[in-house]
Amino acid sequence: MTIGLGHYLTVSAILFTLGIFGIFLNRKNLIVILMSVELMLLSVNINLVAFSSFLNDLAGQVFTMLVLTVAAAEAAIGLAIVVVFYRNRRSIEVEDINQMRG
Amino acid sequence: MIVAALAFYLFSIVAIIAALNVIFQKNPVHSVLWLILTFFNAAGLFVLLGAEFVAMILVVVYVGAVAVLFLFVVMMLDINITMMREGFIKYLPVGALVGGILFVELAIVFGSWAMSPQSEALRSAPVPEGISNTEALGNILYTQYFYLFQGAGIVLLVAMVGSIVLTLRRRPGVRKQDISVQNNRRVQDTLEVVKVPVGKGLAS
Amino acid sequence: MDGLLKEYLPILIFIGIAFGLALVIVVASLIAGPSRPDPEKTSVYECGFEAFDDSRGKFDVRFYLVSILFIIFDLEVAFLFPWAVSLGNIGLFGFWSMMLFLGVLTIGFIYEWKKGALEWE
Repeated sequence: MTIGLGHYLTVSAILFTLGIFGIFLNRKNLIVILMSVELMLLSVNINLVAFSSFLNDLAGQVFTMLVLTVAAAEAAIGLAIVVVFYRNRRSIEVEDINQMRG
Repeated sequence: MIVAALAFYLFSIVAIIAALNVIFQKNPVHSVLWLILTFFNAAGLFVLLGAEFVAMILVVVYVGAVAVLFLFVVMMLDINITMMREGFIKYLPVGALVGGILFVELAIVFGSWAMSPQSEALRSAPVPEGISNTEALGNILYTQYFYLFQGAGIVLLVAMVGSIVLTLRRRPGVRKQDISVQNNRRVQDTLEVVKVPVGKGLAS
Repeated sequence: MDGLLKEYLPILIFIGIAFGLALVIVVASLIAGPSRPDPEKTSVYECGFEAFDDSRGKFDVRFYLVSILFIIFDLEVAFLFPWAVSLGNIGLFGFWSMMLFLGVLTIGFIYEWKKGALEWE
């Protein structure tokens, strides 16, 4: 019963699917959508680290650090946009964000 | 090795259950707490994979900072929780369909995937023997991956500037202390000694 | 990698004990504690009044700015750890690489200082 690369890839695939699923389900709450995006980035990280470990290549872990950086920046900017949007419209529903539609 | 396998199943099952709860919780505060549990278990998986440093950074940065940021925003906007579930049923089929298709596609890709014989030679940064994970990362992150590292710095700078531009606003009518102005005031600018003649007053 | 996992085994056991103990305490107090609720006991008590509004107070946006700046500098420190460990191996180039990184973030720090994002009105 050894744990191979496939096991980790399965876990990350399930987490990624759950992230997609969460984006579709929570149309009324932008914050949960951002959390789903974080879940998807986490699954990408699991993928990178799993390949890095099984190939004995450190590049995957370096990229994981960069993905973490991008995820933190994305959360900061995304939540700032949510805050500004809430301040203007008193709502964080996806349906309300059509102001910029051409 | 049996312990490692058991630990893998423990961490991955708890992570998946927690991720399910992130999506299906009614209250966004609970969603954030389940997200924290997911991150902890992913950190456990990283430790099992031998990536200690990334695991610890995941706990420090995600649990310590990003999750707290989410909590702040959830607390800051007071959202009607009961309204949040509207449209849930409506989007369930299409969400399940897209998620299911994606999962099947991923399964097909991973199932038929095999390691190329050249992959050993193509590694850009083989793991060195005998030094810790953190030191091995440090040996390549700042020199071999110089541009990516500086790019990370730029991304952080843009995030900082962007969030300040978006959320900072001046409140009118707030008086602030400006220490340099206070210290630079001279007596001559503000104070005037006037000799008032007796019986005449200043007006004349 | 086996040696590494062996080093982490005590932590896993520790986490297991901690969860087990927490579970035992919660379950034991559920079982052993007396529970005779009546409407008066379970009603909301707030200094003798009915609760005026929701218990979830609103936060000010300024907390949010401070926490964003915390995230940015948290990541900066996270990048400093491997640099500090392997400074002897990466030479002058690695040193100045990190100095450039810190310089870029210092520009942001000066910006936020000048914009007054750190002031608490």
